[in-house]
Amino acid sequence: MSHRFLPYLWTCVFLLLAIVLSVAIGSVPIPPLSQLRLLADWLMRKPLPDSLQIFASIISAIRLPRTALVLLTGAALGGSGAADQGLFRNPLADPYLIGVASGAGLGAVLAMSVNWPYTFWGLMVVPLAAFCAALATVFVVYSLARLGKTVPTTNLILAGVAFGSFASALTSYLMLRSTGDLHRAIAWMLGGASQAGWSPVLAVLPFLVIGLGVLVLSGHSLNLMQYGDDQAQQLGLHVTRARTVILVAASLATAAAVSFSGIIGFIGLIIPHVMRLWFGADYRRLLPLSILGGAGALLLADVLARTLLAPQELPVGIITALAGAPFFLWVLRRTKNQGYW
Amino acid sequence: MIRKLFVAFISLAILLAGCGPARTATPAPAPTQPLPTPIPTATSINLTDGLNREVSLAAPAQRIVSLAPSNTEILFAIGAGAQVVGRDTFSDYPTEAKSVADIGGSMGKYNTEAIVALHPDLVLAGEINPPELVSSLQQLGLTVYFLPNPTGLDGLYANLGTVGSLTGHSAEALALVTSLKARVAAVDAKVAAASSHPSVYYELDATDPTKPYTAGPGTFVDLLIARAGGTNFGDQLKDQWAQISLEQLVVGNPSIVILGDSAYGVTPESFASRPALGGLAAVKAKQIYAFDDNLVSRPGPRLVDGLEALAKLIHPELFQ
Amino acid sequence: MLRIEALTVAYGARRALHAVSLEVEAGQVVALIGPNGSGKTTLVRAVSGVLPVLEGRVRTNGDDLLSLPPAQRARHLAVVPQAVSLPPAFSVWETVLMGRTPYLNFLGQVSLKDEEIARLALQKVEALELADRRVGELSGGEQQRVLLARALAQATPILLLDEPTSNLDMHYQISFMETVRALAHQEHLAVLIALHDLNLAARYADRVALLQEGELIACGTPRQVLTAELISSAYHLPVQVVPHPFSDTPLVLPEDRSV
Repeated sequence: MSHRFLPYLWTCVFLLLAIVLSVAIGSVPIPPLSQLRLLADWLMRKPLPDSLQIFASIISAIRLPRTALVLLTGAALGGSGAADQGLFRNPLADPYLIGVASGAGLGAVLAMSVNWPYTFWGLMVVPLAAFCAALATVFVVYSLARLGKTVPTTNLILAGVAFGSFASALTSYLMLRSTGDLHRAIAWMLGGASQAGWSPVLAVLPFLVIGLGVLVLSGHSLNLMQYGDDQAQQLGLHVTRARTVILVAASLATAAAVSFSGIIGFIGLIIPHVMRLWFGADYRRLLPLSILGGAGALLLADVLARTLLAPQELPVGIITALAGAPFFLWVLRRTKNQGYW
Repeated sequence: MIRKLFVAFISLAILLAGCGPARTATPAPAPTQPLPTPIPTATSINLTDGLNREVSLAAPAQRIVSLAPSNTEILFAIGAGAQVVGRDTFSDYPTEAKSVADIGGSMGKYNTEAIVALHPDLVLAGEINPPELVSSLQQLGLTVYFLPNPTGLDGLYANLGTVGSLTGHSAEALALVTSLKARVAAVDAKVAAASSHPSVYYELDATDPTKPYTAGPGTFVDLLIARAGGTNFGDQLKDQWAQISLEQLVVGNPSIVILGDSAYGVTPESFASRPALGGLAAVKAKQIYAFDDNLVSRPGPRLVDGLEALAKLIHPELFQ
Repeated sequence: MLRIEALTVAYGARRALHAVSLEVEAGQVVALIGPNGSGKTTLVRAVSGVLPVLEGRVRTNGDDLLSLPPAQRARHLAVVPQAVSLPPAFSVWETVLMGRTPYLNFLGQVSLKDEEIARLALQKVEALELADRRVGELSGGEQQRVLLARALAQATPILLLDEPTSNLDMHYQISFMETVRALAHQEHLAVLIALHDLNLAARYADRVALLQEGELIACGTPRQVLTAELISSAYHLPVQVVPHPFSDTPLVLPEDRSV
């Protein structure tokens, strides 16, 4: 029985390592002894010495909230990527297949074209607009794809690609027309935690808990859907209902992730494949593993983004693209289960 | 076995943490420079910045981080250069600015850790910085002042005065403003004698040579060209960052072409060799000039340099 | 038992099935034959609730199957489709366990009883030794048997099979049909099997139903339905029906014009 838990153990260790690295490494080098000292003092609730104040503030005010946000984003992308690959039975599916990213980008750029007052809600408008636009996109795509009482996956993909292209084109047009905010729009799109502090984490958390929670419980339904709509229904699954629930849950998670972190690619595409190659295609296991793995992988990518060209910070999306593809090819060649996805 | 691996991982992680990047600007946890020359007064400074935020300083700022190249230029111009401890990647003027610690800024990403580690008492932001950045830095406990872009030269003078107050160099700022006003007045006087206002096409971007971008109405380029005795070709367009077609350019037939995109490799020869432009008045009269765009795009004291340069190009006959 | 009453299915304007009525008793194997496009697969899909139905009913012992939710319906009726493009990464064991879905909770947690039933199902189709193999590694015949085991694990009184022997070689065709007939008789299952091979139908079916262009042309014993006139007219091909040299069943052969 214990060998069933090994995949979870390995993935948790990986995630833990990634968290430690993300907190320990940054553009300002903090000596490991100081970090251990800070940890000890914090655990024992002793007041911190002045010389370590700046390190403490960097870790608690910058690195911890950023680690939390990146972790949640990676978890959302990994989980919804796995769910989408199962839903569409397509190895090329990722969280953005049905146009979520393009919709979110459009929402964000639209919001950026207005000069909002500098208040808490004024600053929340852009992520909020991105989030709402992402969900609206899924709704539109779903409605376009519906055929009577069923929602065939082919229609979803086609409608998603079409609407996504439309939204992207509109976004590009808006960006070209903007004068000063081109910088801001591009920076948002390339991804990476833009807002500091805990408020993005708190804003994103409820949607992720709900969305990813539903996905983790949907493993069995996804397994059944691998046999096609007919067989899944003949085996007793209410296919349209299951598909809708999973789609909504995955979209909630993706929209929440994208609204604060921009559009980060490859995590949602590659992590589920890696998990599948290493640990099998059972979605009851694949989903939680992809969630954990996605969180760890994005954390590592973020660490690299912060340190490779310090003090410059690369957009995390570039790291995931550059590192993700070759790594996946390596895994593909090394594993015995080649071809069985 | 698992436990051993676990311990190994953690140790490895902490080890790696210690060998963080060495190439950063290594900030000391406490200032090591001696305080600069006398700063007057202990009265606090209270101002409202461009985002309608109340900003207070107990004393003039001594450790300033500049997030925009224009702000860096202003700081150095009013004599506060020694108080600048960090600047964004693109701050390259004056040359002394390049030796100040770089805190990021390319691709919209600023290194908040490095900024915090510099212990600044003032962060000077500009309109090229997104409000999210201002909010993040504010949440980290830093004092941020957002300097809005001026809409005219008067706005520029006001900004210089503001930065002078913030840094304890009000007198120098005032002196600078006076000298700038004098130079502008000199240009005005010369330009008043101009008999014509030739049409000037200022090119901002020609990544696609068939659809280049020029400065439209409301931009500083537009303002300065008019002040320098010319007519901005882009004035008739609607957007500030206005795209035109080659046909419009040919029909409009500007007398003078100024290449603000020369930093990207556009030369008078390459412009003249573009299809259909051989017949332009400017090309035939060889009135195509490379130009340093920083002189007219950065809202700092060098705008006056830009004005003078433009005036000399547009009305060389008045500046013999 | 399965009772199909005046089932009519349309694809847009085209009628794929027109008022088809058919009854399959428990313990009986009914073969569904007909040329390509006659509606065999459509009938199987419609009866299993996957295709929307214009008119008609599908009943079993009083329950109206088409009005039941999928999970309920799956306890009455199991389908063995053709073994094509199966997800290759699942193991045989995992695949057969999926047949227990109508009895599992939302999370798909299996109990020991479910595992026992799955094991028994694999035994009945003589595929227990394949349990740990991946479906992608199996031959066509083995995959088809696994799908049969999955349907058996569903423990339903009614079994629908959609041309399961089309891609199998002679050996697997015979062994598969032997298994199906044995199961039908031993476990009193009502079996409706769509077949394209008329001689298999003749040999293994208790009754044969002939479909042509969506209509039920004939239904009766193999000898009654597999006549030269009916088959030639339905398949647009002159055939001869001769007595089988070793058994009692008719043998359908295409006419040889060269003789």
